[in-house]
Amino acid sequence: MCSNERRQGPFRYTGRKKDRVSSLGYTGKKTNHYEDTGHTILPSKAWGNGGNMETRAVLWNPSVRHTPYSGRRKSREEEHVEDQIHITVWRDEKAQKREVEQFTEDGTLESWFKVTIPCGRKCDKTQLMNSVHSLCSVPFTPVDFHCDKYRIQFFVQDSSIAYALKDVSYKISSEDFEKIPIFVNPSVAPYSVQNRFTREQMEQLKLAMKKRYDISQHALCLKKLRFDPDLMNHNIDMILNRRSCMTATLQIIQEDFPKLLSLNLSSNKLFQLDSLFDVVKKAPKLKILNLSKNMLRTAWELEKIRGLKLEQLWLEGNPLCSTFPDHSSYVSAILEYFPQLSCLDGRKLPLSTGMDIEEPQLMKPRKAIFKGSEAIKNQVQQFLQDYYLIYDSEERQGLLSIYHEQACFSLTIPFNPSGPDLSSMCGYFKDERDVKNPKEFHIQRQLLKYTKEDIVGYLRTLPKTLHVFNSFQVDICFQMEKTLCFSVSGLFKEVEGSSQECIRAFMRIFIAVFESSSNLCIVNDQLFVRNPSPDEIQGAFAISSPTSCSSFKLVLSQEQQRMVQAFSTQSGMKLEWSQKCLDDNKWDYTRAAEVFTMLQTKSKIPKEFFKQMT
Amino acid sequence: MASVDFKTYVDQACRAAEEFVNVYYTTMDNRRRLLSRLYMGTATLVWNGNAVSGQESLSEFFEMLPSSEFQINVVDCQPVHDEATPSQTTVLVVICGTVKFEGNKQRDFNQNFILTAQASPSNTVWKIASDCFRFQDWAS
Repeated sequence: MCSNERRQGPFRYTGRKKDRVSSLGYTGKKTNHYEDTGHTILPSKAWGNGGNMETRAVLWNPSVRHTPYSGRRKSREEEHVEDQIHITVWRDEKAQKREVEQFTEDGTLESWFKVTIPCGRKCDKTQLMNSVHSLCSVPFTPVDFHCDKYRIQFFVQDSSIAYALKDVSYKISSEDFEKIPIFVNPSVAPYSVQNRFTREQMEQLKLAMKKRYDISQHALCLKKLRFDPDLMNHNIDMILNRRSCMTATLQIIQEDFPKLLSLNLSSNKLFQLDSLFDVVKKAPKLKILNLSKNMLRTAWELEKIRGLKLEQLWLEGNPLCSTFPDHSSYVSAILEYFPQLSCLDGRKLPLSTGMDIEEPQLMKPRKAIFKGSEAIKNQVQQFLQDYYLIYDSEERQGLLSIYHEQACFSLTIPFNPSGPDLSSMCGYFKDERDVKNPKEFHIQRQLLKYTKEDIVGYLRTLPKTLHVFNSFQVDICFQMEKTLCFSVSGLFKEVEGSSQECIRAFMRIFIAVFESSSNLCIVNDQLFVRNPSPDEIQGAFAISSPTSCSSFKLVLSQEQQRMVQAFSTQSGMKLEWSQKCLDDNKWDYTRAAEVFTMLQTKSKIPKEFFKQMT
Repeated sequence: MASVDFKTYVDQACRAAEEFVNVYYTTMDNRRRLLSRLYMGTATLVWNGNAVSGQESLSEFFEMLPSSEFQINVVDCQPVHDEATPSQTTVLVVICGTVKFEGNKQRDFNQNFILTAQASPSNTVWKIASDCFRFQDWAS
């Protein structure tokens, strides 16, 4: 009894001391928590002090030291049996020898086995491990789990488990219907067991982690844990890329933070994620994971934690990010591991829609994709703006300077048996001789125009248009040193003739060469024109107001076209809104500019009126 | 003179396009695993705005796509000007049709290819230098 009391004294004293120190860094909520704790400890204060004094006395009196030490050693042995934690205290030679004997004895009594499963690269490792667990007749906990593309390795303690695992060999089939063997061999204790932390160190780690835990957010920040001042002061090397350190950390998470929602592991020099394989079971509610600024080299490391249902993930600052040619392929690759991800590296990903639910396997569309330099992107956008400004004007003769001498152009009207009535598109059918004889496979040969004079002459015979710029989707298809191929699809309105007010859909492909550093010269031009679906029309005009639609009725003069372009350039507004502003002010440029400036000063112009800066 | 040469190029392009379209969509529908062989090593696919580059990525992408049934309505083609692709016979092929991917509804699509001729002892082999696919009615 007396011995028992003496053992407990120092622990209580240490705990209380730590709480006081910790309170300095607590938020208001945590301060309240501390007060509650303090209240429960307060009645024992006097007794605790007594314990502390006794400890000091022991340290000061060498003759008394030996006897109490012997007693404490016995206590620790009991703890060892109970907690299965090795206690290493090299205070004297006798004790050291006894510890060695203890370890050897322990090793003999509970032998270790190394389990290897060569499963091949296509195998889903998480699923395979679940199968092994379900088929194994003895429950087991894998220690120091490791996997790469070709195999799984882990350790188990206890020969009964080893025999049970051997029985599972060749009883699990891969997706290719090949039976998978399981090899079990005697082994030394695994790394993390040989480097296991003492009870005192675990207690210290727990305290440090509690200081880093935000109760309201269920968020644990273990960023740069190696340099935690409390841990460093106690000479604890908590280096999370070491197996034993991560194992200890996950154990505390499982025991003390079961509701963990967010885990920050950034800046810990993690180079692989084998030690996080258990995190699915130890932190089942985890939704947010920060692995930024580590040393993960390939995205495949995420295979080891794909059992998590992550909603937010940070990976920036890892070497793996630079293995992707562009951001969209990076996003696509990460979404393969975490399909429910809504935020990657702090950027929101496109939200799921009903369409995606219907079609989960098809890749999400992107508005535009630009590879290479920003200059190319700007050049294409400027080109399209200039081109369609001329194309939509009274005269299309200005296009002559844009085409190469020997350029060629073709127009195609796709025939779709299930499509809407095509009679209204007669404006484009002048040369369509085969339209009345539809074929499943039909090649246009007659509509090829050759030389720029013939092309522009032909374009001038097509119906007058007003293109809806915000409906444009642009793809850069092909790019070489002096050559660029890009496509643009979208909608336009016909503004004259019997089809006035009709909306058309078009797809245009340009192949251009760089005439000088800034000029694009068209050598190939291909145009598809068709009737759009109601959804397309609704989508394109959703942003515009009914008032804006009225502007499409106008037929602008060449001078007005130039004014719209200039106004758009100076104000930064989209072409259609620039046009509306000028029209509202009766094409008085100066007055329109004054009105715009006044409205902008009052912040009365919505953001969507302006061009996209991306 | 120039016009006569141009017509010859057009005829060549049309024959190449006709043959290519048959091979491509048959392979896409029925022999999907061989599809990436039709692409040059440096080819880029832009699929509804998503860029895929390199043989391995293309193979993985096509493997991931659900099985398909393509129907071609219209094909248009043009010879690409020498100035754009010096010393490399090149053809632009543009396709419009409908496609049904397994588990998805039928959709209209546009697709365009840039094909380049590869020298071969027996005959001319056309390879895909670029591929750009978009559904007509699937906005971003």
